[in-house]
Amino acid sequence: MKASFLGKQNHKQDFSRKWDFFLVLIPLVVALLALGIGRINVSPLEVLQSIGAHLGLGDALSPQIEVVLWNIRLPRILLALFVGAGLSAAGCVFQSLFSNPLATPDTLGVASGAGFGAALGILLELPFLGVQMVSLLFGIVAVMLTVLAGSSRQQGINRFVLAGIMMGSLFSALISLVKFTADTENQLPAITYWLMGNLDSANYYSLLLGLPFILGGIIVLWLLRWRINLLPLSEDEARSNGVNIWNLRIITVLCATAMTASCVSMCGQVGWVGLLVPHLCRMKWGNNHLKLLPASIFIGAAFLVMVDTAARSISAAEFPISILTAIIGAPFFIVLMRHTEGWKQ
Amino acid sequence: MKLEVQNGSFSYKKNLPILKRVHFSVESGELMAVLGPNGVGKTTLLRCIMGFLRWNEGRSLMNGEDIYTMSSRKLWQYVSYVPQAKGAFSDFIVEDMILLGCTNRLGLFATPGKYEKEQVQKVAERLGITHLLHKRCTEISGGELQMVLIARALAAQPTFLILDEPESNLDFKNQLVILDTLSELASEGIGCIFNTHYPTHALMRASKSLLLQKGGDTLFGDTTQIMTETNLENTFGVKTMIGEFETSNNTYRSVFPIQILPESEKAVQEETPEEVIAGVLILFSDSALLEKINRWIIPYNAYLIGRMEIPYRAEGVYMIYLTFDSPVEQIDRLTHRLMSLSGVQIKTLLSPKKKNRMGDNPKIIDYTGRRNSTYSKPP
Repeated sequence: MKASFLGKQNHKQDFSRKWDFFLVLIPLVVALLALGIGRINVSPLEVLQSIGAHLGLGDALSPQIEVVLWNIRLPRILLALFVGAGLSAAGCVFQSLFSNPLATPDTLGVASGAGFGAALGILLELPFLGVQMVSLLFGIVAVMLTVLAGSSRQQGINRFVLAGIMMGSLFSALISLVKFTADTENQLPAITYWLMGNLDSANYYSLLLGLPFILGGIIVLWLLRWRINLLPLSEDEARSNGVNIWNLRIITVLCATAMTASCVSMCGQVGWVGLLVPHLCRMKWGNNHLKLLPASIFIGAAFLVMVDTAARSISAAEFPISILTAIIGAPFFIVLMRHTEGWKQ
Repeated sequence: MKLEVQNGSFSYKKNLPILKRVHFSVESGELMAVLGPNGVGKTTLLRCIMGFLRWNEGRSLMNGEDIYTMSSRKLWQYVSYVPQAKGAFSDFIVEDMILLGCTNRLGLFATPGKYEKEQVQKVAERLGITHLLHKRCTEISGGELQMVLIARALAAQPTFLILDEPESNLDFKNQLVILDTLSELASEGIGCIFNTHYPTHALMRASKSLLLQKGGDTLFGDTTQIMTETNLENTFGVKTMIGEFETSNNTYRSVFPIQILPESEKAVQEETPEEVIAGVLILFSDSALLEKINRWIIPYNAYLIGRMEIPYRAEGVYMIYLTFDSPVEQIDRLTHRLMSLSGVQIKTLLSPKKKNRMGDNPKIIDYTGRRNSTYSKPP
């Protein structure tokens, strides 16, 4: 069963055509279910009823449940949807850009930079929105430094990967420095907890600051998705297909880093999604970004909502999401990899 | 349509020229081979032609328009590039890979539609690779991948195709598949420029040839005039012979590498054309050819030391026997020219002149010096 549905190319085409439709549906259904799950359980029917009430049909639920659904859970689910989509899309295009299956959204050091910014913000006891802004700023600073360090007359893309790894470890060291100087009673736990990633601080204001970056990045990448196919090719090949490869690379890096910095600034370092989801999608949809990128975006969104829902409902205390993405994701990934042909380059 | 390079010079570092005053032109429908030793700059030449690298001097012209300043969209409507089928490429489905070739004709945000897919189908049928369309690029053989890359280039509907060693790393049969494809494309009016490591392929397929020599000098012209033993020896530093096989309907010519020439000998050869005593026997049966052959021999009269015509009328066979004292290149040129006539058989005997032999008088290297010492006082 598994072999016939994952392995054969001919089947794969029909299979993925059917999935095109489900792709859009999956995150919506998952989000709808997730709205009802939590310490106060609301059945999907009641959720639908509440949505109807907001559209002016039928009666609303009790005020307490309404507040839980729309003021607490919805922003959080929206955040999860967009962060999942953004990180997956960024990981997906980075893997192609660097022709490297190990590339993640953090490859150019953006997540470490943003993490450092957030740690610094917490150290300076800024309000949450302030932390988010400092974090966003440092994410972008980190990428700019990486690009400066990596650029030279010899145009090799791997220099940027190396420069990114260096910048990543530089900012990791700076994070350690901030932790070292932080007050151990309040600040250190806050920084540590923040770095592990969690979505519980989601509110409409922080979404308003962060979402435009993610949405903008996704839209641009989506529009360019056919040309992104040329990124893994050699420079001459890409150019001979009439594509200005350096412009394309720069746009891709800009979009991917803006999305990643924005994600990290809102909910800390959510690891794994950017590596895992694109690979899952490559196994099913192949390497053509015409399908791969939309698939990564939708599956990434659904995946993070699922993981976040688990993180907030598994136990009374909230689980850091990075731990769960790895614990759920890694075994799932290994199983899938063994049953399909996996990434080939 | 005409693709030409005018006086192109290029160097990566100053004072270390890779290409010097390259000059050639290719019309659509012509097949041009680029030959040269490893590392001499064949790929660099291709990259310069297409404007990936900028000529230090000179320019590439497409129909009279400078390629470097041409809009890339316009340029790649005329020219397609086929890279070597090795190195990094992504694991695409073959169909998607070929579709990538259509990108230049699509808008910035557009995705390929029905028309492009039909185009891919047509190109695949033309090259006979429809059975590969749904395979992955990592699953197919090197020869198949090369065909896919050619298909990708053709999907852009180019007038000129530039190929970087298309038949390298392929077995006998696949080499023929690629070469036949190139010949066919040329006959359909596409101009092809290809790098190759096989002089025989240039000899058999290309109408024009460009030899790249160490130090940046180039030889360009019709293949019959460029692909001579002397030129190949000077270019590769290898003693070569051009041999022929005849079948009932075709003559096949091949270049054989005989031995590596010592550096010094090569250097001398560049300065001193080897002089030989040559006997050329020409055999033919069509009397109409007699006049033509005689006309062709006139320019070589200066070298002619003996001549005999032996008509054997009873059998309708003519024989001409010529003896020359001349540089070997001249003999080469004449025999190659005569060989292009159908119904003519030629046998050439060569004997190097004693004064040219190496080692007799190692102290005197330059041509004039030796000529004086040996000519005026014969041993």
